[in-house]
Amino acid sequence: MTVTEQPVLVASRKVRAALDSLLEPDAKEWAKAAVASIPLVPTPVDRQPSAYVRASWSERPRGAVSEIAVSTLTNARALAVRLEWEAPRPSRRISDYNVYADACAVLFARDGRLLEHETMGSPGHPVEGWHWRAGTDEAFVINATGLGTATRVKAHSVCASSRWSEGRWQVVLARPLEADGVPLAKRKKVPVAFAVWTGVAGERAGLKSYSPQAHELQVGQ
Amino acid sequence: MAKDTSPQHQFAMVLDLNKCLGCQTCTIACKTQWTRGSGMDAMWWNIVNTMPGKGTPRNALDLGGGYRDGEPVPGQLPPKAEWGEAWDFDYDEALFSGDGHDYLRPREHDGASPTWGPNWDEDVGAGTYPNSYFFYMPMICMNCSKPACLEACPRDSIYRRDEDGVILIDEDRCHGYRFCIEACPYKRIYFNEQRVIAQKCISCYPRLEAGVAPACVRQCPGRIRHVGHLDDRKSNIYKLVKAWKVALPLRPDFEVEPNVFYIPPTLPVAFDEDGAFDDEAWRMPIEDLRAMFGPGVDEALATIETEREKVAAGGRSELMDILISYNWKDLLGPYPEDPGQIPPPTFDSRKLQR
Repeated sequence: MTVTEQPVLVASRKVRAALDSLLEPDAKEWAKAAVASIPLVPTPVDRQPSAYVRASWSERPRGAVSEIAVSTLTNARALAVRLEWEAPRPSRRISDYNVYADACAVLFARDGRLLEHETMGSPGHPVEGWHWRAGTDEAFVINATGLGTATRVKAHSVCASSRWSEGRWQVVLARPLEADGVPLAKRKKVPVAFAVWTGVAGERAGLKSYSPQAHELQVGQ
Repeated sequence: MAKDTSPQHQFAMVLDLNKCLGCQTCTIACKTQWTRGSGMDAMWWNIVNTMPGKGTPRNALDLGGGYRDGEPVPGQLPPKAEWGEAWDFDYDEALFSGDGHDYLRPREHDGASPTWGPNWDEDVGAGTYPNSYFFYMPMICMNCSKPACLEACPRDSIYRRDEDGVILIDEDRCHGYRFCIEACPYKRIYFNEQRVIAQKCISCYPRLEAGVAPACVRQCPGRIRHVGHLDDRKSNIYKLVKAWKVALPLRPDFEVEPNVFYIPPTLPVAFDEDGAFDDEAWRMPIEDLRAMFGPGVDEALATIETEREKVAAGGRSELMDILISYNWKDLLGPYPEDPGQIPPPTFDSRKLQR
């Protein structure tokens, strides 16, 4: 595992395994996958779309997670992305008004080409996000064309599973290759970015750790 | 700076604190109508607090939010216990235990006896006998002209209706981030943990659209609530707020320009040391009333006193006629229709979408 500030190619290896198996974060298949370490940084407060959030968070620590380990596997029909990061104080669910759950997301260019992840896309270059939030293994999928524009997609094929063990979250997000959403053609590289929200720090919305540059994900053969 | 979202008309309400009975009929009318759904057990979009008191949630008006010199003020988000759980009641224990000594006791979900809840300060009041005092203060969404909640939402989920200035949360857009609850200086937005969305008083907008006044207004046995359009110069709302200047915003220092206004409490005459009426003294320190309703409270109270004396002397007063509300329907302004004549309004989150 290497930490780099250059764009990372997360290559997906093809395995013979059912999707249900890949959705197990500790399945033995994941030992076969290459692991890329992606550096994360806090999102800039001055870029938050709400004046209230800018005023409230200008002095608050955020972006506690500085690194995320990413690996991907492909079977004949689906792509699975596994994210793992350090979470010594996990927030496993929204258990109160003032409790926020840990979460993570993978962001794609909606057309699989140019990813404008810093601005959550633009009208000409929409983005698609696959979200997981602790407390529910139901994945959310969002489309966005700029900061504050994210809209949940009502019908999608992304599924998620999670495990917290020894101070780390392990989350798998998976989708059939042939499905509505970002095109995931075999052997194709798609730009991708990552984000992690730390619940105990009050992180939600645009307050998070994110990969400041786009990386590449290569779908397996 | 707050966003300028001026509507065509501004729905507004005036509540006469000299007439509020604290009966919570408004609270139950609202509860019955709107907050019986999933995750809404502990929600009281309308609540009547006893003042002086800590409010609902605890210390509601001291938790930040709103603006100062036009800049957003960071606010706190109290845990659910500070708002009050939806208590359980053991009817079997109270009604069928057999010994006749048990009563219907509220219990927290863990079985504990509650130590806080909505309007926990019921009738605590302040002052020293015989000059002790309290008054009731109903609280709902203020439909602010500079809504801090709306500006706080990074998802643009909150909007102000162009037709009447009513502020609504689009439940499809809301992702439950809760910045709006922090930013509301009156803490009148609740969090639905089950649906992970923010919810609040909707000013009974389905009723407004059918010409029916909000449930809290129609059900009020004290006739304390007036509704109408603030921009309608013929309305009682306009007369009370703009012409007579006796209806005041709560905590104008929050800079959110609320569209719910209060007739400040005059409270009973104070006694002096000899037990005689002291016309010069106030039971409630005037500084406290100024802190609540702003510097206009002196003039408002003086006007009310003057008009009362005019009537007491056998004269007529337009202001007293409005406040007494001889004709109940005068309270309802442009919303006089009978809810019995329309289909029951239903809570449909799709209608909250823009």
